[in-house]
Amino acid sequence: MTDVISPPRRLRRGRPEWLRGPALIGVVVIAVWVLVALTVPLWSPYDPLAGVAPRLQGPNWHHLMGTDQLGRDVFTRMLWGSRTSLPVAFVVIVSSVIIGTVVGAVAGYRGGWIDAVLMRFVDITMAFPPILLAMAITASLGPGVRNALIAMVLVWWPIYARLLRAQVIAVKQREYVESAEAIGVKRFTILRRYILPMAYTPVLVNATMDFGQVVLLTASLSFIGLGARPPSPEWGAMITEGATQFYSWWIATAPGLAILLVVLAFNYVGDALRDSFDVKGVV
Amino acid sequence: MWLGNRKGATRRVVAVGLAGVLLLGACSSSGGSSSGSTDKALLIARSMDINSLDPSRAYCDTCQIYMTAVYETLIGLAKDNTTLVPRLATKWEGNAAQTEFTFTLNPKAKFSDGTPVTSADVKFSWERLQGLQASSSYLVSTIKSIDTPDAQTVKVTLSQANSAFLAQVNASYLGIMNSKVAIAQGATIDPKTDKAEPWFLANSAGSGPFTLEKYQSGAELRLKRNDSYWGTKANFPEVVMKQTADAVTQRQQLEAGSVDIAMQISNDAAKGMNGNGVVVSQVPSFNFVYLALSPGAKGGEKLTPKVRQAIRLALDYKGLIDATVGGAGQVQPSPIPNGFAGTAGLAAPAQDVAKAKSLLAEEGVTDLTLDATFPSLNVYGVDFTTAMQKVQTDLKAVGITLQLNPVEISVWADKIGKDGIPVTMLYFAPDHTDSSQYVQYFGLLKGSQWQTWARTDVSQTQTDLLTKAFAEQDATKRADVYKQLAESMVADDVIIPVVNPNLFLAARSDIKGLYYSACCNLIISDLSRG
Repeated sequence: MTDVISPPRRLRRGRPEWLRGPALIGVVVIAVWVLVALTVPLWSPYDPLAGVAPRLQGPNWHHLMGTDQLGRDVFTRMLWGSRTSLPVAFVVIVSSVIIGTVVGAVAGYRGGWIDAVLMRFVDITMAFPPILLAMAITASLGPGVRNALIAMVLVWWPIYARLLRAQVIAVKQREYVESAEAIGVKRFTILRRYILPMAYTPVLVNATMDFGQVVLLTASLSFIGLGARPPSPEWGAMITEGATQFYSWWIATAPGLAILLVVLAFNYVGDALRDSFDVKGVV
Repeated sequence: MWLGNRKGATRRVVAVGLAGVLLLGACSSSGGSSSGSTDKALLIARSMDINSLDPSRAYCDTCQIYMTAVYETLIGLAKDNTTLVPRLATKWEGNAAQTEFTFTLNPKAKFSDGTPVTSADVKFSWERLQGLQASSSYLVSTIKSIDTPDAQTVKVTLSQANSAFLAQVNASYLGIMNSKVAIAQGATIDPKTDKAEPWFLANSAGSGPFTLEKYQSGAELRLKRNDSYWGTKANFPEVVMKQTADAVTQRQQLEAGSVDIAMQISNDAAKGMNGNGVVVSQVPSFNFVYLALSPGAKGGEKLTPKVRQAIRLALDYKGLIDATVGGAGQVQPSPIPNGFAGTAGLAAPAQDVAKAKSLLAEEGVTDLTLDATFPSLNVYGVDFTTAMQKVQTDLKAVGITLQLNPVEISVWADKIGKDGIPVTMLYFAPDHTDSSQYVQYFGLLKGSQWQTWARTDVSQTQTDLLTKAFAEQDATKRADVYKQLAESMVADDVIIPVVNPNLFLAARSDIKGLYYSACCNLIISDLSRG
């Protein structure tokens, strides 16, 4: 691990340096899914909640990914599923980054007993596998997307807190920070203006990579009945329905492909950003 | 499946299998003879719903199979599912008033430890079933006293006339345990002092063709042949019931030859299964899945009689059968399933959206939202989540919104016991061959399962009609009374059957003697390989 932060590379005009190959594919895929999530109510092929054809039809020209056990169009439901998975992942990541940033910054900059208390709490949280902890929290709060979201935020923010704390500790030892302290600049100002701008990059890169993981975790919670409620067309819940109709393979395949595409896309983008910002040793 | 103690806050519901006789392939002419015996264990894939292996507490589909294999009843049921045949008792008779019954035990009958089966064992077993107030205790609720004039004679006096008593005695839950062994292990007839349940989870004390070898919750139930069985010995030296949750896995295991029988194959999973050493058959069954409306539940205040009727009329019954079992089932007019006494000529339920809307308008109900918490189960090939989504769609068309909330069965049981649930879904299969069980379970009799759960007023009409049915000895006239009861329960609109699914039995082609018994689900001792 390195404790040296490289300054962000100057971006050339036009396409950024990292936006090539798999990362470009990733960005396109993400953009398409975001567009679908935003606009699908305007052009949806069918009503995602209504039976529109005989049940358990295989893929055909009218129903590209077949129909499910209630005669609903699986392709339509897959498209509408993005309206649950993507916003949930966005809210989880943003909330976790904010909480983790505040906790990590305070712990890293103040040090001492505050750091010890906050980090022990982080250690305890991170001692549990994320999926198990999220399951336990959701089960205690009650099933549903909102509670699953709360559970995921509670599971995820410690990752960023620990990451940012390490960066803050490294940056605060630099001479310009010590100089600022010597001339009496307020601590909050130092943290905001001189430390965080040099420490946030690994967090953002990590957040990008985690986006796909949160999509996966959302689907996992729904798969085991702790996430979206029926008849919501959420990808994980759709896979559960497909599992009970194993020989109608298309029901689970469609949401499975959607999850695969989104997770892969975010991983490509995250990898490219990590390489570009040279934070491999940190993230 | 269990759902609770009859008098406890949490109750356990049942579903027990009963269907018409089904033969898979050629049944062996000798039935349960030992001519085709084999040294290889019989392996069964099944989603087990065991609540207990204590004979006085067990109440589930799997429990019926276990009880029949390990604990014998006084009276058995022939393969025609109607004729009562001797088992532990060689003969029985009732008085003209149907208030006293006398049973004569077979002197040859003995428990697996060699102890003779006596009238004292019968008295203890039934008094314990009555005393522990478990889910199956309703079967002995009319017993007033049991006398044992000698070791082979049992005289039962009832608190009221009960022409269904012999059918109730045939229920697997009235199996007889070795009272001396049970008492030595802490069994009593008082729930406050009884301590035998843990012992029964690892041991058995019956006279049946099998004994309990091992039970691992969530994994397997292992039975061993009772080699000192007093009757015709079972063909298989060992029977292993493997916990296999879903129909797809059961199919895969059966096709791979890793099990001999798959017990819960759904219509969709059964497609294309026949052949390659596997035989699948389907028959109409008496099992059913129902929607239950509880006006007395928290949040169910608006479920007035007219609203409940509107809900019944809003349902697309054929669509529900198509959506849940791919059409492999029937509509069921009343909580008494098709084929039972009192169901002939009942009008089939039909969808009438216009009338449903009209009723809701009369009641001034608009945009009604109801909690629909239901157990996340897949029973008899019916996925409850699928069925409830279809119900939700149908009710949405008349302006009623259901908030679906699938939960674990334990969570569901806790909730319905505590606050009640306005709209829910459950399943049922009979314990014996008489229609009275449905009235005792679904009717609004004082303290009945659904009178308690739905928190409704007691129906004096149903109470009187059941008393009349119990007192009536003429089968035709009794059926007429049951028909009145069925119509009365339909008019309550508390229990609305939504699908009566066909039953699928799937087995390796060398398994003989497989059929569903009306009292006992699956009789393992009748099976052979050959």
